[in-house]
Amino acid sequence: MKKLMEFNINGDLYQLAVEPNLTLLEVLWEELGLTGTKMGCNQGDCGACTVLLDGMAVCSCLILAAATEQKEIITIEGMDADSRLHPIQQAFIDYHAVQCGYCTPGMIMSAKALIDKNPDPTENDVKRAIQGNLCRCTGYVKIVDAILASEETMKE
Amino acid sequence: MAHTSVVGKSLPRIDVHDKVTGKAEFPITFQLPRMLHGKIVRSPYSHAKIISIDTTEAERLPGVKAVVTAMDTPKIPLGVLYCDRDAFPVDLRVRYVGDPVAAVAAETEAIAENASDLVKVEYEELPAVFDTEEAFGTDPPAVVHPDHASYEYRADRAGMQRRIDPQRPNVCHHFQIRKGDVDKGFHEADLIVEDKYFTPRIQHCQLEPCVSVAWFEANGTLRLKTSAQGAQVTKSTMCEAFNLSPSKVRVECQYIGGAFGGKGRNITEPYAVLLSMKAGGRPVRVCLTREEHFHSGRSRVPVVTYIKDGVKKDGTIIAREFKILVDMGAYADSAIMISRNAAFGTFGCYNTANFKLDSYGVYTNTPLSAPFRGFGSAETIWAVENQMDVIAGKLGLDPVGIRKKNILKEGDRDACGQIVRGIGLEECLDRVEKWIKWKKPSSQEGIWKVGKGIALGNKFTQAGFPSSAMVKVYPDGSIEVLHSSHEIGMGVDTVVAQIAAESFGIGVDHVRVVSGDTGVCPYGFAPVSSRETFHMGNAVLGACEDAKKQLCEIAADMLDAPIELLEVKDRKIYVKGHPEKMLNIFELFRPPGVGYALTKCEVLGKFSYQVPGIPEDPETGQSERIAASYSFGAHAVEVAVDVETGEVRLLKSAACYDAGTPINPKMCEAQIEGGTAMAIGAALYEEMLINDKGDLLNPNFRDYKIPTAEDIPNNADIVSMLAPAPHPDGPFGSKGIGEIVTIPAPPAISNAIYNAVGIRIKTLPITSEKILKALKGYSKEVE
Repeated sequence: MKKLMEFNINGDLYQLAVEPNLTLLEVLWEELGLTGTKMGCNQGDCGACTVLLDGMAVCSCLILAAATEQKEIITIEGMDADSRLHPIQQAFIDYHAVQCGYCTPGMIMSAKALIDKNPDPTENDVKRAIQGNLCRCTGYVKIVDAILASEETMKE
Repeated sequence: MAHTSVVGKSLPRIDVHDKVTGKAEFPITFQLPRMLHGKIVRSPYSHAKIISIDTTEAERLPGVKAVVTAMDTPKIPLGVLYCDRDAFPVDLRVRYVGDPVAAVAAETEAIAENASDLVKVEYEELPAVFDTEEAFGTDPPAVVHPDHASYEYRADRAGMQRRIDPQRPNVCHHFQIRKGDVDKGFHEADLIVEDKYFTPRIQHCQLEPCVSVAWFEANGTLRLKTSAQGAQVTKSTMCEAFNLSPSKVRVECQYIGGAFGGKGRNITEPYAVLLSMKAGGRPVRVCLTREEHFHSGRSRVPVVTYIKDGVKKDGTIIAREFKILVDMGAYADSAIMISRNAAFGTFGCYNTANFKLDSYGVYTNTPLSAPFRGFGSAETIWAVENQMDVIAGKLGLDPVGIRKKNILKEGDRDACGQIVRGIGLEECLDRVEKWIKWKKPSSQEGIWKVGKGIALGNKFTQAGFPSSAMVKVYPDGSIEVLHSSHEIGMGVDTVVAQIAAESFGIGVDHVRVVSGDTGVCPYGFAPVSSRETFHMGNAVLGACEDAKKQLCEIAADMLDAPIELLEVKDRKIYVKGHPEKMLNIFELFRPPGVGYALTKCEVLGKFSYQVPGIPEDPETGQSERIAASYSFGAHAVEVAVDVETGEVRLLKSAACYDAGTPINPKMCEAQIEGGTAMAIGAALYEEMLINDKGDLLNPNFRDYKIPTAEDIPNNADIVSMLAPAPHPDGPFGSKGIGEIVTIPAPPAISNAIYNAVGIRIKTLPITSEKILKALKGYSKEVE
């Protein structure tokens, strides 16, 4: 049976009647039409569905929506607030870090989780932070470049 | 190359803003009101007869809206180049674990899943065959397609002549090359080297699983949103499968989450359409789970390569002979061409006087085969490039030296009879040799033994398939390009925009690109075979010329100047030599800048480009032109091997490719980096493991490992270079790069491992386990 729940997503509050067995990813897609977050495996292996939950990068396909009440959720749609791209997004453009684009939202969210906690990461820190985000197109080289460069931009 | 202002610049991709903001619409996120969810019921047996199907319970479940089965569905043919598969097997014989036998559609995914469990199917199990060589025999344990000789064959459009082998019932195609006299060559040789190499079945692992949504409009038009690789080919297949008029089918697939050859049509599409028909036209979405995508999506064909070389003491290969078995799995369709095109990898880099090759397509009761980035060349080059190092070792020659001794050069005639034009292979080799400091021995570090390896590769782009473009000029002088391909991640829309902008003398911000919609785009073949830059580039150039000619026809009267003297640039029309005589393009429209084009209604340029190709001689395999163009490259690596665990780490990677003149150099570099990562996976980790029942043992990303960021060398130690040899027929001298970038790295890694620890593993992947067994002397698989 559906239960009334309250979510804080990208700073917006939503009151929704939700089946208690729905995952956060299912609520984002089916209830809210926030389809920027992607589904690659539904098993927590590929990272395409990564969102931030109280600042931590998590797989939204593994988390029950009910467990995210009272928490702050940020999705890719929350990155370019005030219609200005986040420096990580801009760096992904400038460094040619995107091909098919399917892993990109999850990759950007993992990068944000890293940089918010560690404003001066090394190349190895970046690789560790995105090792749960699979990409089959880019070989990761330009993604790593972009994340390192965006951290520089944010310092300025 | 002539001076260009947009072509050759590393501009940002035109789709990138949509993708970094999450706004890009992929077919998987597409939803419609009243959309039903479909689920395919699949065979649990690798080879069986369907005896009965009982859907009573499934149909009784509340929320179930449609059930279709192999028993009550007429033949729905799905072939594109070879017709060996129907939506459901009309002979009621399933041929792999996962073969569809029924499908259901319901109000929710959960109900559809429950309903699919309630479909009761009774089978009679048949003997099955999983091993390629066993299946190849004259008396195999099972015959997968007893009637395949009568199946319709359409690959002749690619110059391919069908041959089967009546003695071998699982052989669906036999291709042969005969050049010179190999027996004489072997007789004259100082050294004979014979070996066998194997590449396993691997998965494309596109991050977006196969998905489609089908529905019917009130007027009977079929709408289909799909992740298929090839909107136009999907459309023509659906027209044929369901007997629909081309005017009543519209297929859309603008962005696809990766394809790599594995999203050929017909994995989800026919089932979504069939269920929608049954459900009165309601939208039906069929989306594979990751596990389904692994076992019942498509995957790379396993290939067994036997190679025999006759070599002179100085390293000249005077005779080369191959026997190649290409495992087609349960169904081949377009992949039947791999049983010929795998041969292109065997001779694309070297000039050999005497050459003999026999390549066979072989059915087994294993998953659906597919093209996979390289279309057979990666698999046979795995053998060739290991063999080159083995020969060098036996003769005491330098691996780079023996390659240069035999390398194919501009103007040479290759083993299938083509004169090679635009080949930058030797420069690629020189540049990676220099970067990796080939002559300098690697420094060693304790239990880590370090070594270097090098390999070459080539990939042919198939002749015989068209690409088309239309260019519409808007009343403000901006243009719209509608083309027949679509964006699977490789960047075709950006390449198209840059080429069109160059032709019109404008910036890409004045070019709009429309693709992946058969409702408005012209017909062309699918985005496959590294073909789009070369083919689509030419189609776009032709369409731009046509549109500019139309503009000049209107302007000639207004400017009172002969049409030959007019040129289009900066959204204006100039009279050459008279800069003061010009018109803004908006002046050609009525009302100006808003309305219709004077005398023409619309300015719409059109062009289709195709390299006709020349059919091969079925006895000798010879053809003056079987490929539209060729790409080449070399890869050098340094690896470290832990002699206590067998772990391999890639320390350095230097790749150099000849893709002709790059339209967007950074996008080419990005292709090389992505190809390198995919090749690391193929070399060290990836194999679909199938047990003795035909079941896939590792259908997920935990058990089937693909490279992560941590498996790639540090950014300072990975370099991607371009050595452009402009192709005379390519737009601005360019050609494809998509597939070649995965090809030479696995043998380069193998050669480096041999250089480090003296062990050569001939069966991919080179796992730690295999290396450790060999190091401890437990394995025979050591040179």
